Amino acid sequence: METEKALELAESLMKDFAISTRRPEENRVDFVIDRKNLKPAVDAILVDKRWGYLSAITALDNALWKVDETTKEKTIDPSGGSLELLYHFCQAAAVATLRVSIPYNDPKVDSICDLISSVSLYEREAAELYGIEFVGAPNTDKLLLPDNWPAGVYPMRKTFTSLEDSAKG
Amino acid sequence: MEPKTAPEKFIVPIGPQHPALKEPGHFEFTVEGEVVTNATARLGFVHRGMEKGAENRTWIQDLYLMERVCGICSHVHALAFALGVEKLAGVQAPPRAQAIRELVSELERIHSHLLWLGVAAHEGGFDTLFMFSWRDRETVMDLLETISGNRVNYSANVLGGVKIDINEKQADAIRKGMDFLEERTQHYLKVVTEDETFLGRTRNIGVMSFEQADFLGAIGPTGRASGVKRDVRIDSPYTAYNDFPVKLITHTHGDLEARFIVRIQELYESYRLVRELVDKMPAGELTVKVPRRIPEGEVISRVEAPRGELLYFLKSNGSDKPERVKVRTPSLCNWSSVLVTAVGHNLADMPMILAGIDPCFSCNDRIVTVNRKTDSTQMDWEDLRQYGIEYYK
Amino acid sequence: MENMMQGVMEKVKTWARINSPWAIHYNSGSCNGCDIEILATLTPRYDVERFGIKLQGSPRHADVLICTGPVTLQSRDRLVRIYEQMPDPKFVVAVGSCGISGGVFQGCYNVVGDISEVIPVNVYIPGCPPRPEAIIHGVVELLKSLKP
Repeated sequence: METEKALELAESLMKDFAISTRRPEENRVDFVIDRKNLKPAVDAILVDKRWGYLSAITALDNALWKVDETTKEKTIDPSGGSLELLYHFCQAAAVATLRVSIPYNDPKVDSICDLISSVSLYEREAAELYGIEFVGAPNTDKLLLPDNWPAGVYPMRKTFTSLEDSAKG
Repeated sequence: MEPKTAPEKFIVPIGPQHPALKEPGHFEFTVEGEVVTNATARLGFVHRGMEKGAENRTWIQDLYLMERVCGICSHVHALAFALGVEKLAGVQAPPRAQAIRELVSELERIHSHLLWLGVAAHEGGFDTLFMFSWRDRETVMDLLETISGNRVNYSANVLGGVKIDINEKQADAIRKGMDFLEERTQHYLKVVTEDETFLGRTRNIGVMSFEQADFLGAIGPTGRASGVKRDVRIDSPYTAYNDFPVKLITHTHGDLEARFIVRIQELYESYRLVRELVDKMPAGELTVKVPRRIPEGEVISRVEAPRGELLYFLKSNGSDKPERVKVRTPSLCNWSSVLVTAVGHNLADMPMILAGIDPCFSCNDRIVTVNRKTDSTQMDWEDLRQYGIEYYK
Repeated sequence: MENMMQGVMEKVKTWARINSPWAIHYNSGSCNGCDIEILATLTPRYDVERFGIKLQGSPRHADVLICTGPVTLQSRDRLVRIYEQMPDPKFVVAVGSCGISGGVFQGCYNVVGDISEVIPVNVYIPGCPPRPEAIIHGVVELLKSLKP
């Protein structure tokens, strides 16, 4: 199926869920969806209509930075920002991404392992590196971080600089 | 599933004890009798924290960092990264650079498939095939060294193009190398499709149906061996694949034999493509300028590594350092699908099945946990490998 | 280049007669580049086994530990355990830039870097990766240093 047609098909499949839609590149479409709609959206695009395959899940820490007027130093403003999960589906050259915003104070989202069993490794990676809880995930063992990694320390968050700094608190 | 606390479980402390094995890794198999009933993985021994490291380095430094995600497929990592950065910067590398990038990609695919052939053969106990394929592989290592200066981590890419060029003498050496390898590959194809003992370990073993492969997202030769028509070089051509296309190679059986055949046939395609690139290399510049600060934006870069689709997600905040570099290696995809299909197969088939997806060890671990309901056997990778060999004697 | 190779091979033959070391290989988190080159030393072009250097699987029978990688935090304990299981006298060869300083991964959150921060190292072989000849040379240098 041609790229443009594939993207249009994805748009029509997501029309009930997409809060906003964007075409960041000529072969890509991004849909922002509410996290409570994640499972139905994945169901609609993949399980039901077999639009491509889930290629990757990217986690982002969209931290809010503030710049000090005088020193020009950049620091993180904890009052803003959020985590974000991007579910990338690929259909030949077309890439459709579901974007789900996850608040720092309630970092939970449903696991989609019961829809696609092979997703477990991707979820485990995002869980331990970003501190996101995938509710209902069948396996929450550490995937990449060592067994003795301190709990509650998420190395991919912008607030993490090094283990030593984290230990100092 | 409670991997760590179930009473029948035991963790087998396995390290990469065998010389033919590379990275430490951890698989957990639950077994009833001979049959695997559950499989999962625990990686982490090679986790270095590169995605975070990438945020603290400049775009240029990151090119060299990403090359070393994996020593076997270093070029495609740097390539995916460079292509992504170029997209963000709104530039395109010149045609000659793209052709050279494709040439190195295919040479890398050749060395990787030959490497895998040897390792997979070794897993099944066919050490002669291992020695032969690695000896022949030296041909391609020499070629890569001749054109780039290094056997591994050839660093052909720069942001905006390539830093190596091909002259007539090198082109000649490449042609001779391809001729030699093509003849040797015919021998390998024969062994893989006709040798009785080999077939005993591969035919109808480790079958992944088209349905499973398609839905679970199996990619690369693993997916194509099950008939899934996915190849980024064809679906979404990059570098010079529009001008120098590759033929899609698939198989239908989805068993281990199919995975061997697909990779060997891909070798033939690569030889053909390399010859074509060398004969018809476009003239011109090797680089285009890329700014130090990359404009804000997000980009997804996909290339076909020897093991399958490699996906890079890059996010720029407008500075000289990336905001986010996300790497999804093909092996992670294939692990996932294989762990699901391992269920129902014999334990003795596990070494070959795992080797059959050509795991890039830079992404995995090699520790195998065998959970038996009845007894508590400890097995290390070498044991498991021997177990497989003995089982089929 | 030819002469240098011959020179190295002559030295290796001498050492094989005096000492036939059994080696064990451990990857402490490398990208695999070094490990592939180590493996290549076993293959027909370099054929390091004909000099008596035998790569085998058990630490308890090893004289030399050939270690690659920047020592990830998870692999650290296992590295120490393997070293402790080796009988005396034992020696460690660090192959690759990662084992010297962490290589390109220096400063990354999950690596230690210099292998000698975890276990004592006798020989460092720099390179990213070092070529098989360099690896063989490094092992030969180790054996030379043992000569009474």
